[in-house]
Amino acid sequence: MPTARQQEFESLIAPHLSSLYSTALRMTHNQNDAEDLVQDTLYKAFRAFDQYQKNTNFRAWAFRILVNTYITAYRKAIRQPQKVSYDDLEEFYLYKKLDESISLQETAKEDFLENFFEDDVKDALENLPYQFRLVVLLCDVEGFSYNEIANIINTPLGTVMSRLYRGRKLLQRYLWSYAKKRGYVLNEKN
Amino acid sequence: MKKTNQKKYDCAEIEKRVQAYLDNHLSDEEILMIEDHLSYCLPCDKKVEFEQKLKEIIKLKAAEKEYPKALEDELKKIIRNR
Ligand SMILES: [Zn+2]
Repeated sequence: MPTARQQEFESLIAPHLSSLYSTALRMTHNQNDAEDLVQDTLYKAFRAFDQYQKNTNFRAWAFRILVNTYITAYRKAIRQPQKVSYDDLEEFYLYKKLDESISLQETAKEDFLENFFEDDVKDALENLPYQFRLVVLLCDVEGFSYNEIANIINTPLGTVMSRLYRGRKLLQRYLWSYAKKRGYVLNEKN
Repeated sequence: MKKTNQKKYDCAEIEKRVQAYLDNHLSDEEILMIEDHLSYCLPCDKKVEFEQKLKEIIKLKAAEKEYPKALEDELKKIIRNR
């Protein structure tokens, strides 16, 4: 018979298995590693469960353990971000590119987004430097607030915002290049 | 000319705040200022709408809907063996 504490942990964590796995998969790029990462996270979370304060944000707490576990396991593999200047990345990049290349109707611009393959979106995300990828996933896919993300990745709010904004701008560039490769946009003017 | 104290956002200020706006990280006052601008500036309104749509598409297409069932077994093992 499981104890009450075991049952409590299981009922708290079970609803988040798929989002933990989803994030792990985007971070590790493959299913086996993602499964290992989530498994380690579950193990650590259960061992640390005494430190979890009742009625606080359990989901953010679990993600914080996932992120720490990821960083510990991949410390060596995670390189410093490339010395690329991100300052010239402009806002509304994809929209502007679409506007420049073909005179699409507004509805067609939204169709353009709908038409991306899931794999293109996943690839674009997985190509982001990991710090950017992590905040974009936590915000856009998992729906965490800026403050929750700051807490999960243990980083000041301003850093969260700058990584998120740069990450998204970079993501738009990748999506644009996929769109061209796939032939979604045929006649780009120069 | 009548002078009003109410400053209005220009397009550059919308561009600067669009992401925080879509992430619901602005004050009520800032939200009103943005929505005021969007109510008469069609180009910004279109762009903001497009960004909103992109955010939705990312969530829709990048979230895994399934996870390995083995994880559930692992979870049971972890909580029972310790
Ligand atoms: Zn405007």
